[in-house]
Amino acid sequence: MKTYTRTMNGWWRRNPFYLWYTLREWSSFFLTAYALVLLFGLARLAEGAAQYEAWRASLASPGAVIFHAAAALIVLYHAWTWFKVMHKTLPFLRIGARRVPDSAIFAAGVASSVVLSLLLLWGFA
Amino acid sequence: MQIIQSDVIIVGGGGAGLRAAIAASERDSRLRVALVSKVVPMRSHTVAAEGGAAAVTRGDDSLQYHFEDTVSGGDWLCDQQAVEYFVAHAHEELVRLEHWGCPWGRQPDGHVNVRYFGGMKVPRTWYAADRSGFHILHTLFQTSHKYPGIKRYDEYFCVELLVDDGHVRGVLAIEIATGEFVVFEAPSVVFATGGVGRVFRSNTNAGTVTGDGMGLAYRAGVALRDMEFMQYHPTCLLGTGILMTEACRGEGAVLTNKDGYRYLQDYGLGPLDPWPRPKAMELGPRDRLSQAFWHEMKKGRTLETPQGPAVNLDLRHLGAKKIHERLPLIAEAAKTFSGVDCVREPIPVCPGVHYMMGGILTNVRCETTLPGLYAAGECASVGIHGANRLGSNSLTELVVFGRVAGEQAAQFALAAPRRAGSVLRQAQPVADALLGMLRNTEGERLAAVRDEMRLSMEKGAGIYRTQEHLEETCRKLMELRSRYAKGIKLDDRGRAFNTEWLTAIELRNMLEVSQAIAHSALERRESRGSHQRLDHEKRDDVNFLKHSLACRRGDEVPRIDYMPVTITKSSPRARVYGGEGKQVVLT
Amino acid sequence: MNATNGKVIAIECLRYDPQTDDAPHYETYQVPFTDDMSVLQGLQYIKDHLDGSLTFRWSCRMAICGSCGGMVNGVPRLSCETFLRDFYPEGLRVEPLTHFPIQRDLAVDQTDFLVKLRSIKPYIIPEAPKPVTEGTFLQTPQQMDEYYQYSQCINCLLCYAACPQYGLDREFTGPGALALLHRYNADSRDAGKAERMELVNADEGVWGCTLVSYCSEVCPKSIDPARAVNQNKVESTKDYFLRFVAPRRNG
Repeated sequence: MKTYTRTMNGWWRRNPFYLWYTLREWSSFFLTAYALVLLFGLARLAEGAAQYEAWRASLASPGAVIFHAAAALIVLYHAWTWFKVMHKTLPFLRIGARRVPDSAIFAAGVASSVVLSLLLLWGFA
Repeated sequence: MQIIQSDVIIVGGGGAGLRAAIAASERDSRLRVALVSKVVPMRSHTVAAEGGAAAVTRGDDSLQYHFEDTVSGGDWLCDQQAVEYFVAHAHEELVRLEHWGCPWGRQPDGHVNVRYFGGMKVPRTWYAADRSGFHILHTLFQTSHKYPGIKRYDEYFCVELLVDDGHVRGVLAIEIATGEFVVFEAPSVVFATGGVGRVFRSNTNAGTVTGDGMGLAYRAGVALRDMEFMQYHPTCLLGTGILMTEACRGEGAVLTNKDGYRYLQDYGLGPLDPWPRPKAMELGPRDRLSQAFWHEMKKGRTLETPQGPAVNLDLRHLGAKKIHERLPLIAEAAKTFSGVDCVREPIPVCPGVHYMMGGILTNVRCETTLPGLYAAGECASVGIHGANRLGSNSLTELVVFGRVAGEQAAQFALAAPRRAGSVLRQAQPVADALLGMLRNTEGERLAAVRDEMRLSMEKGAGIYRTQEHLEETCRKLMELRSRYAKGIKLDDRGRAFNTEWLTAIELRNMLEVSQAIAHSALERRESRGSHQRLDHEKRDDVNFLKHSLACRRGDEVPRIDYMPVTITKSSPRARVYGGEGKQVVLT
Repeated sequence: MNATNGKVIAIECLRYDPQTDDAPHYETYQVPFTDDMSVLQGLQYIKDHLDGSLTFRWSCRMAICGSCGGMVNGVPRLSCETFLRDFYPEGLRVEPLTHFPIQRDLAVDQTDFLVKLRSIKPYIIPEAPKPVTEGTFLQTPQQMDEYYQYSQCINCLLCYAACPQYGLDREFTGPGALALLHRYNADSRDAGKAERMELVNADEGVWGCTLVSYCSEVCPKSIDPARAVNQNKVESTKDYFLRFVAPRRNG
């Protein structure tokens, strides 16, 4: 029986949903890059105060600022998507006989990360 | 032509067919069971059944009550021996479905819950929300994978029952994807091909419900019994024909006319109580409710809408929680297809053709008059529905008689001697004739003939019938048959996946089965159950307490014979609803 | 059909005839329509009045049989519950469900799904045989709630058309069948989880999913197949680590 099979070429551009998904997957590279920058800073710290200060100064360069601003946005998006799908990785949570709605799990995730971030900022300040 | 050998052929993969296949395979796992269906089984029309399946379950119920409700619901045209068998085996079959995974609605303690349906003295309908048919079908379909003896032939369309020397030899089918003919050879064949609602214009049925098995059996010389009894379901979503299950009313919904008046009290279904009463008002039987609609329409008390007259099915007082738990499909369908939020507004509904009470004549063992041919489900007339089926008896029928048909067919196959000689001799000329349809260069469009048939059936063989209109319909059907015979011109001349060709073959069956319906109705000069004659308004037990049998006579109109009704314990008496029932407690 | 008020919509359909074509092409039909007409009714109009050779599957026309799935403007939809009015006046393009081989026009080959459905053992495997005379299992509404949502699958295959991982690797068991696998594992009457775990853990099992979760977006019955798949990633991980702690009896 002859059939026709369509190709998958450019599938990720076919639908906005796939584009956002692709961006979510690529955002891991930014996360990794940011982690490497931090790791690099840590290594500088181990080498001494002067090296560490030089690393810190390099972060003020326009390129580094742009990178960090972009990374921050992308990490925020990544976090958002993470909470969006969090309920899918959980068994049904119940309070009494009632199932906790997916939206509540999402809201709890976002709220707790906002609170933790604020606490961290407050701790540094 | 390819020949596939098996022991039992099941035609149709809906509830009855799947249950039959499982039963045949359980009877003897070595049997080769071929399940041949024109759609993948889970697409079969059982999927659209909503309300539930009846079986005596509660302590305050009894087999006698279920028997009486069914027989009086059928206006005493039921074969009582079949009803006795049916009610006695209903419960075990529903339990079996439960063991196979069917998600029946439960009480808080984990026992199966039951709901009320029309014409029931005691609630006995097992339900899976309002997707009962869907869950039964998928449970059976998925469970069928456990049985290696069952080999499925999905999307094979049966076009002829092969009979040699008075014995069934198999079926001829078209493999839809390729358009190739295939012969399935076996000593026993079970037809489980469903109803024929698509011969009417406004109906609740899926596009596949075209009376194929009835047509094939009829052409092979088996009589179609009680075909004049076509059930109109009183509550279909206006303009769409989508079923708004009787379970709505079982859960407490009410019907009102354009003045907000619960009109059923005017048609012998009252009294109107502030509480629900079994077998009264909205819990009356389907035939009475559809007929009441017709009278309201004649009195000008229905809502006039661009899509025709309607009444209101009001669920609002049930509350959002109960609606979404018990009737989610109804809520969803009303919203999607009519834009009605049934929590806030009533649903506009009207009657539509729903179910064929008659069908291929069988006895209580599902045997037809042709040795080796069995039938079960809506395509069969085993005799439990009489002149009007009670809601939720048909899903139970699928499993009770599906099992019987499968076991009997298996038994027959195990005992039957292999018959010599090739079946190709019968198959080849049929295949050649059908291939000829692809070559017609002149003729009418398929849709023209089909639409005229539907309109004519609705006009002549609707809720109320008269001699005059039935004769007109009979004439029209004969005309359409001869126009069909002259040739239908198909746009599609290829073999592969030619659905236009298949639809044209279906139309042949539909025209012939329509004739059986119209002529049976014409000859029954009385009013009984779903068959109401304005020119013969009374039930006539002296002349018509008997089954009709439509017998094919080639290109002529069918001959209508009669056979007696089997009566064991309930003699005909007046059929009364409303009145004496006690208060209902809806769970 | 009601008066159409003169409204006509262009429906562009993918056409492919295996007997004559090497590749699909598109044909556009002008269809008069009313606001209550579904895309399916538009296709039926074409078949009845304009071109009887247009091929598509349909049956119940009430979104429960799962026959009429297709791509409407690139989105997997049931054509019976998608309405022409939503595409007026621009018109719409109808194609067969993507990721499946095209048999003819809008009809795809569903065999692969049916094979996968069989592979997940889609039936109750009881702890011990239970005679019918013992009556039903007891199952509380809460126990039922654990699997009920996954039992609503109508096998319409929209989720497969939504899943790029299935499109890229046809070995992947896919969202629909995996959701049904979970439906049985989560049923209190079933004891077949260990048998099904092999498939969950396999290359073509749950790890083929990258949580695109478009399957859950398009599911017409809100089953959330992505949730079923990803819960089984957790199960699979537990299964992997538990084998070090408590080796399985049958190795």
